[in-house]
Amino acid sequence: MLITRLTSPVLIIAYKEICDSSRNRWLAFMGSMFLVLSLSVSFAGSAVTGSLYLPEIDSLMSSLSTISVFIIPLAAILLCYDSFVGEDESGTLLLLLSYPLTRLQILLGKLLGHVIVMLVATGAAFGLTALLLLMLGEHYDKGELIAAFAQFLLSSNLLALTFILISYIVSLKSTEKAKAIGGLLLIWFLFVLIYDLILLTILVSDFSFADQYVINALIAMSPTDLYRAINLVAIDGNNASGSLAMLASSDWGLASLYGLLLLWISSLTLISHRIFKYKPL
Amino acid sequence: MLTPSVKLTDVSLRYNDFTALNHVSFEVNAGQTMALLGHNGAGKSSLIKIILGLIIPTSGTAKVMGQCAHANQQKSSINLGYLPEDVSFYDKLSGREVLGYFGALKGVSLARIDALIEEFGLGYAQHRQLKTYSKGMKQRLGVAQAILSQPKILLLDEPTVGLDPQASQFLYGKINELKQAGCAVVISTHELSLVESHLDTALIMARGKRRALGTCAELRKASSLKSSIHFDDLAQRVKSNAYLQQFYQQGMLQFDSSAKAEIVKHLVTQCQVFDFDIKEPRLEDIYHELMGQSLCSPAEQA
Repeated sequence: MLITRLTSPVLIIAYKEICDSSRNRWLAFMGSMFLVLSLSVSFAGSAVTGSLYLPEIDSLMSSLSTISVFIIPLAAILLCYDSFVGEDESGTLLLLLSYPLTRLQILLGKLLGHVIVMLVATGAAFGLTALLLLMLGEHYDKGELIAAFAQFLLSSNLLALTFILISYIVSLKSTEKAKAIGGLLLIWFLFVLIYDLILLTILVSDFSFADQYVINALIAMSPTDLYRAINLVAIDGNNASGSLAMLASSDWGLASLYGLLLLWISSLTLISHRIFKYKPL
Repeated sequence: MLTPSVKLTDVSLRYNDFTALNHVSFEVNAGQTMALLGHNGAGKSSLIKIILGLIIPTSGTAKVMGQCAHANQQKSSINLGYLPEDVSFYDKLSGREVLGYFGALKGVSLARIDALIEEFGLGYAQHRQLKTYSKGMKQRLGVAQAILSQPKILLLDEPTVGLDPQASQFLYGKINELKQAGCAVVISTHELSLVESHLDTALIMARGKRRALGTCAELRKASSLKSSIHFDDLAQRVKSNAYLQQFYQQGMLQFDSSAKAEIVKHLVTQCQVFDFDIKEPRLEDIYHELMGQSLCSPAEQA
């Protein structure tokens, strides 16, 4: 057994989380879902125009990110909603805390395990799509395609990490698994659908208060909009259409947008650690 | 002087207006088994969490192997084995993987894990997912988990709940082996008849307070319950013995434990009775007597 050769508690917990996810077929299911999604967008996305052709890299990345902004947070939520409340209900959280482990090690172990699971699921699916495009799409600049997919994978996994941490916070605060998933679906609905819709409404409207500072602040306040903005800025938003192009015209550069997403991740890590540290038993 | 494995001194635990534990003191030495008894919400689980160092008492001290339980939680947890109440582990993992996971967290070798799997009779099912395990198999796995690192202190919360008599007997057999090897064992349970023959001391809790503490003999002595002796021609035999007559009630001899030695002496020397059983009050009877008042409302008690 590989697990008995590991000495770091963080790695041991991460390994167990990966085993759990692969055993309950979560990894296979999500990987397949991402694969079907990316293959459909890449190879059949043009069908709506009445002909089949491989899209340009910019429009392909734009389409992939538009769909992923819905799917990736949902996948992260489904992966992690019961991370703490589930262990609490089954009695294993109390047992783990009686072991020579700190709460930070438990949190980081789970985080590492879940990030690896998301990386494998997205990496396999989008990586395979990129490989097929490289083989079949003769008009693509190979370097540009690889760079675009690498950027897309990085931003997608940072978005997943944000929602993994949000799931931990809700899971730590919930008393039942059902309440945790309910609360998280509400958060997903607010961030992914409602907030996004409000932001796009402000962008296309001519409200006097909606100057660039307000828009920048509104983008920074939502990880899903940061993700959208990152992918639009990365591909040169001029190719995006309508309101998305306006989102891409944000003053933030790519590095600043990544920085803001990392700020979200750091803040959520600190908040979840603090909640776990003071969680009553 | 030998340091007690577990020592709680005047421990209280309060949550706002609610007092979960009220000035509780006890100690458990190496090679001793203590049963924690009490109604639901009496404070048994809180006591276990204090020993584990997971809760800081509001007042008083809790020491494990002579060290403060909370301040040295990381260090003392190496010496502690714990089985929570009704733990369900990870259904998708196999029994061997579960032990491998917890063993790795305590730095236990694979050889030790394999030995425990065989010792607890789980070899045939070690590669099966836990969702296929029976309640008894899961409890055996739970106890195996608790003793992975050969702990000096074992804390078991309701280890036999839902188990058949054979499985319970197996678990108590293992607990006795550990005790003989010098492990201090604390068992929180409601199954008094099962634990009675395996304990050295019992702590009876009610509403966060220590209701009684002692060996079974001491608890019997402290209770008002009487021991009894009955055999076929008892009435005939004691008729001519004035001393025994005073204890003769309802067709049997009923007496406090303080009179036991004298009664036995009279039966053997005066009445020539050599074959009889003494029926002592069971732990369950003592518990019910002690708890009878405690569970009443304060007005009823008054």
